[in-house]
This record gives sequence, C-alpha cells and structure tokens, in this order.
Amino acid sequence: MTAPLFRADTLAKRFGGVQAVQAISFEIAERAIFAIIGPNGAGKSTLLNLLNGIIAPDAGSVWFGNVELTGLAAFRRARLGLGRTFQRIRLFRHLTVLDNVLAGFHVHHRIPAWQHVVHGGAYRRDRARFRDEAGELLAFVGLGDRAGAVAGALPYGEQRMLELARALATRPRLLMADEPAAGLNAAEVERLVERLARLRERGLTLIVVEHNMDLVMNLADRVLVMDHGERLFEGTPGEVQRNPTVIAAYLGERAS
Amino acid sequence: MSRLVVLLIVALAPVVMRDTYWRSVLVVCALNVMLALGLDFVLGYAGQLNLGQAAFYGIGAYASTLLVTRLGFNFWPSLAVGTLAAGMAGVALALFAVRLRGHYLAIASLGFAVITYQVLLQWISLTQGPLGIYAIPPPPPLAVPGLPAIDFANPARMFYLVAAFAFLAYLVLDALVRSPIGETLAAIREDEVSAAALGINTPAWKAFAFGVGSAVAGMAGAFYASFIGTLVPDAFFMTESFTVLAMVIVGGLGTLVGPVAGAVLLTVLPEALRGVGDLRLIVYGVSLTLVVLFVPGGLVGTVRALRAAA
Amino acid sequence: MPDVLTVVLQQTINGMVLGSLYVLVALGLTLIYGVLVQINFAHADIVTLGAFAAYFFTHRLGGHYVLGIAAALLVGAVLGWLINRVVFVPLRRRGSELLPLIATIGVSILMENASLAAFGPIPYAFESPYSGQVIRLGRIFITLQHLLVIAVAGVAIGLLYAFIRYTVHGKALRAVAQDVETAGLMGINPNRLIMLTFVIGSGLAGLSGALLGPVLVLTPFAGASVIVKAFAIVIIGGFGNMEGTILAGLLVGLIEAFTTQFMNPGLIDIAVFALLLATLAIRPTGLIAERREENV
Repeated sequence: MTAPLFRADTLAKRFGGVQAVQAISFEIAERAIFAIIGPNGAGKSTLLNLLNGIIAPDAGSVWFGNVELTGLAAFRRARLGLGRTFQRIRLFRHLTVLDNVLAGFHVHHRIPAWQHVVHGGAYRRDRARFRDEAGELLAFVGLGDRAGAVAGALPYGEQRMLELARALATRPRLLMADEPAAGLNAAEVERLVERLARLRERGLTLIVVEHNMDLVMNLADRVLVMDHGERLFEGTPGEVQRNPTVIAAYLGERAS
Repeated sequence: MSRLVVLLIVALAPVVMRDTYWRSVLVVCALNVMLALGLDFVLGYAGQLNLGQAAFYGIGAYASTLLVTRLGFNFWPSLAVGTLAAGMAGVALALFAVRLRGHYLAIASLGFAVITYQVLLQWISLTQGPLGIYAIPPPPPLAVPGLPAIDFANPARMFYLVAAFAFLAYLVLDALVRSPIGETLAAIREDEVSAAALGINTPAWKAFAFGVGSAVAGMAGAFYASFIGTLVPDAFFMTESFTVLAMVIVGGLGTLVGPVAGAVLLTVLPEALRGVGDLRLIVYGVSLTLVVLFVPGGLVGTVRALRAAA
Repeated sequence: MPDVLTVVLQQTINGMVLGSLYVLVALGLTLIYGVLVQINFAHADIVTLGAFAAYFFTHRLGGHYVLGIAAALLVGAVLGWLINRVVFVPLRRRGSELLPLIATIGVSILMENASLAAFGPIPYAFESPYSGQVIRLGRIFITLQHLLVIAVAGVAIGLLYAFIRYTVHGKALRAVAQDVETAGLMGINPNRLIMLTFVIGSGLAGLSGALLGPVLVLTPFAGASVIVKAFAIVIIGGFGNMEGTILAGLLVGLIEAFTTQFMNPGLIDIAVFALLLATLAIRPTGLIAERREENV
C-alpha cells in the first residue's frame, strides 16, 4: 500500500459538555472514496469541519500528504487542495449560477495586479478561459443551461449540484462532500453516483458523509461508522454490512 | 453612452449655475460622490458595514493639510499622502477587527470614528483642536504648457478638479468590481464560510476593501480641506458617516451608479429645501429609513424595475 | 485638600451611579440582541425622549419626579413597540443581517433631529427634587438622586433577572435566544416574545433617560453621547450576555468618573473605545465568554 493521501490522528472536539468528536483516526489512500456514516448527531459534520479547518480540534492532528494541516486556516487548506460542500447548502444565494462557479476559481487567476484596474490582454484571456472552464463544470453537473439563473432560486437538487461544481472549481485533490445526496430524488442520486465515480476516475480522492446507504455501499472503498462522536467501526462496505456492532447500533435502528 | 451624458452634465453644471453658492454645492456633491463610492465598495460589494467613513475622511483631510501648513509640502504629494494614510488606517482597522463581521465590525468601526474624532479634538498641539486650522491654501495653479495656468481658487474650476478625481475613483472601482476581485468580494459578502472553503483569505480581502474604500474617503478629505480652507473636527463627527450611508442606500447599494445618484440627490435636495428650515438631517433620516423599508434597490433598483416593466 | 482615598471613594460612587445607568441602557440593547440578533440604533433616542417625557411631566405638568420616571418608562415602551412594529417586523421577512441596523440609523437621525426641531438646541434645566439633598459620610458626598438611581437601577435589574430566570416568559425568551426554530417547535410564539423584549428593553431605556436627565445636560443629543458607550458596553460584556453587560457597564462608569477626576473628560470616549477595541482583539465574545460555535 502506498503512503496515504490524507490522515487524521486522534482528533477530538468538545462543545460545552458534549464530546462531539472523540479520538477519531483514519487514513485515506489516493483516489479512494471514503465514506463516513452514522446516525444524526454522531459528529460527522463536526468531523468535516475539523478536517477543513472551520473549527480547531481540542486534540489530534490532520495531515495532507506530508503537510500537517492542523492549525492552518480553512482558506489555506483549500489552497492545498481540499474542496468542500456543505450539509446545509451554502451557496452565494444572490449571485448567478455562473458567478458562483467563477468565485471558485479565486486561487487560480493569473492576472498581473494592475490589470484588475486597467483590463488588458492577460485579463481578457483569464476571463475567457475561466468562463469556458465554468461552463464545462456546469455541464458536468448537469446545469449547463442554468448559468444565468440566480443560485437561490434553483430547485434543491440543482443547488446541491451547483455547490459541487463550485467546489470543483478550486481544483481540489481531495473533495469532502457533506450529504451530497440529501434531498435528491432517485434519478438525481443515480446521476450523482455516476459523477462521483467519474471524479475518482479523473484522480480525485473523496470523503463522503452520507445517509444514503445505497450510495455508500455502491461507491465507497472504505466506510467509517461513527456514533456519539466515536469510531464504531471502519472497514469495507461489505465488512460494515456484516459487522454486528454496526448492525445493532445503526443499521438496525434504521431498519426498525 | 450614459457615461457621456454624465460627463456632459458635469461639464455644463458650473456654466448653468453661475452663483458661487451653488457652485460650492457642486463641489460638495463631487466630494460626497467620492465618499459614497468608497463606502459602497466596502458595504455594497464586500458586505461589511463601515460606520467609520467620517474618520477616514478626516484622516485624509488632516494628514494632507498638516503636510501643507506645517511642513510646506505642495498640495499634490500631500493629496497622495492623505489618501494613503486614510487607506492604511482602513487596512489597520480591518486587520485589527479581523475576526469580526456584521454587527461587531459595524460597532468597531463606529468606535474607531469616535476615537478619531476625539483625537482630532484633543490633540491640540497638532490639530489646534476645536479652534481649527485656518487659511488652508487651495491646490496650486496647474500650469498647462501653451495655456494660461488653471487657478483653483475659483469654485467652478475646483469642481472640475474634484469631479475629475471622483470620475477617476469611479473608473477604478468599476474596473475592480468587474474583475475577479469583484467575485471574491461578493463571495465574502454572501457567505464567509463558503468563501474560505474556496481558498479566499477573507480577513485579507476585507482589509483590502476597507483600504480602498477609506483611501477614496481620504482623497475626498484632502480636497475638502483645500476647498473649504478651514478644518475643524466637527466636520468629521460620526453623523457624517451616517449621511454618507444614507447616500449609498438611497442611491442603490451594490451598484456604482447608485451612490453617485444618491450623493447628488441628497446633497442638492436639502440645499433646495433650505428655505423651509434646516431639514438636511431630517431628509437623510427619513429617506434612509423609507428606502430600506420600501425601496430595497434604491434609485437604481427603481429605475431598473421601471425599465423592465416598460 | 481632600486626600487621595476620599477622592477615590467619591469617584467610585460617582462611577457606580453613572455605570448603573449605562447598565440600564445597555441591558435593553443586549436583551433585544439576545432574541433578535439585531441592534436598535435608535435606542439612544428612546433614552433622550424618555428624559424629555420626564422633564415635561415634572416641569410643565407639575407631576412628581417619581411619576415622571414612570411616564418615561411608558414612553420608552411605546417607542420600542413602534420601532419593532415599523422597522424590525417587516425587515425580518427579508432576512438581512445589516438592513435593520441601517434602517434604525435612519430612525435615529430622524428622531434626534425632529427632537432638535421640537425642543431646540439649548439645554433644559432638568431638576430632580433629590439632587440637592446631600448625605455626608465623612468627607464623601452622596445625593439622594444618586441613591435613587442606584435603587431604581438595582430594582429594575433585579426584576429583569428574576423575570428571565423564573417566569415562563423569561424561560421562553431564553429559548428563543438559543434557537428560534426550536423555540417555535416548543410552541413559543417568537414574534410576541420579540415584541415583549422590545417593550421591556425600550422601557428600560426610557426609564434611564428620566434618571439621566438631571445628571446629564438635557438636549436632543443627550442620548447619542450615552449610546456610543452603551454599544461599547454590550460588546465588552458580550452581546446577549446579562452578567457581562452589568460588569462592563459599571466598569465604563468607573472609567468615566476616574478619567474626569484624574485626566481630561475629553479622554473618556478614547479610553472606553480603546477598551472596546482591546476586547474585540483579545476576546471577541466579551468579558464573560459564552462560546457559540456556528453549526455549518
């Protein structure tokens, strides 16, 4: 096995009296799809927030290749190649679909500073290039014809897809998707699974927090099961489905 | 096209208004346009409520004037220093309040305005406090080869000068908001957490917006001092921040035409109503409240809505 | 020559008196922030109009000062109701963070300048029957007005505290402050509670106006000088945090008293806002930290 692309080491976070995340460790190989599942309130979103630096852990560390991320601000982690979508959709609601994606190219512009004021050739080439690239991303998520719409007015499923396109605009090496299938209908979920698989083919590594078991079992290489902030189990989808602790604590509860 | 119309109006205004008083109002219009443009860059584009615009205006005015009166500097380098000093104060405030947003930043900037006002008032050895600084010279005559020198002691010429710089500020801000920087600021305005997840260094860009917005206010301050000729701290009391805010809101937040229109309207209207009594601030209070409540897009939004309906 | 200890004690008392008035003003702001996460910028002008209400009640209508205080409370409460109804309720539907603050800046400019038009810029001599009655404790002087201020402020703060801790409404208020959605699920009508908070908070502002009137110079701008300090206090104390606000209010009162005594009154605002900016830089959540993590 090669060195892991991403590694979390005994992460812990406490809110007031609640231990939201407790001693979570895992490793993710490059181009893997790593799923995190668990009941509501298990600490999955908090874990993602710890991974991308929105909140600071009380203990533990996060590594991206050989770079230690612990203590780095969220924007620095994004620049190193960590992309992120949110459980509660956080689009730029009043901007157009296109502008949402364009904002995602923030770190990739190569315009001499003065051309932001006096728009010259480099500026125009940059604009044209990123408009094209945004168009490709929108086409990829199935929003090719919605570029001019206001993001907040899109139907729910399209908003999820737009958030995915915006995160992809940062050209991440690792994408963290927080419940990407929540609120999608069956057809939309199917297309999402297809897209996530294609992203992996293109070399992307994925962390997916998800409740949709079909998606997890079809797509994931490894699954981390969390409950009450703790690691309940980690293994392949098959192992998770057969594990009695998981069945008792999570799958069983859902089935009942 | 519409820019040409504006330029034509600017060129003709002092020709139509021959009265010195009204020509002075024109200069004040141009100054207010700068202040409103600067504030709108911070509030309308970056989404941060800066209630300290009066302080940056004052910093630009005092910095440039003290260079001229104390150190005998020429007006033009003093203008540059005043602009820069205000811009740096804006960056410093934003970096100081780096973790703040929304209401906290608004109150912090108000606090900065209160402190600046008191410093101008109390630091008598430097600013002469409430007595003020008198006999500030106008910008020196501009020598253009082959033409008679342009003397700025005349309000009509001063108006052309200030309007030219206001137009320059407009062009620079317009270019900035249409560039990727505009997208970055909009991202911060809409959702800072998402912006950070896209790799945007939100504190640095907020400081940038504050710096640009305050620099424009500082430039207005330098022109104000050399136009009025006297400088007292009361000109930069926090109320001035609120009047600029009213101009931006009434004109239309998050557009650049809006603050220009708002500044002109809210400068000229109270002057026109002067016969009825001193209604200036009441006009500002009423229009600010009513526009926020009932006309969300301000003047620009209304015009756009009417055009769309027509 | 009074000795240093006497001066320090005297200024401590003066500072506490002033501070308890600031606490009253700031508590209104912080209560409203607690349930609505919004700032009423016109809070200052409710203080001013409360002071004028008490002045006209006592000096023109010949009413008793204590009843004047009640009148100010009533005027404040009505103004609070009105501002909430006209500004905050409609804007809540638009869901903007900054627009209500901006709108109330407009309301504040309007109220201040309408008062100026109505009452003129010349200070009113607002005399409390208790200002002249002095109690001497050794070399320290306390007026009955000072005692009244401390007593009324103490009772008001105590009642408020009891109300929030022990009544059904108070508990609902805290629930709304925690989470509007959950409060709605618990069968609490947040709109009514927000209105109640506005009425109570603004009533406190009117009340403090009546108490401040004889202490300050009564002009249409009286409230504005108090409000910038009240803003500083709520931030130093931590928005929505009662204990922090009380502590910060007394602290600002003391800073004011001692700056006036030992330095220059012009430095008061600088000292208070330096403290504010320092608080923001070091502890943005206020003196008594109450951590709220954003759930994303």
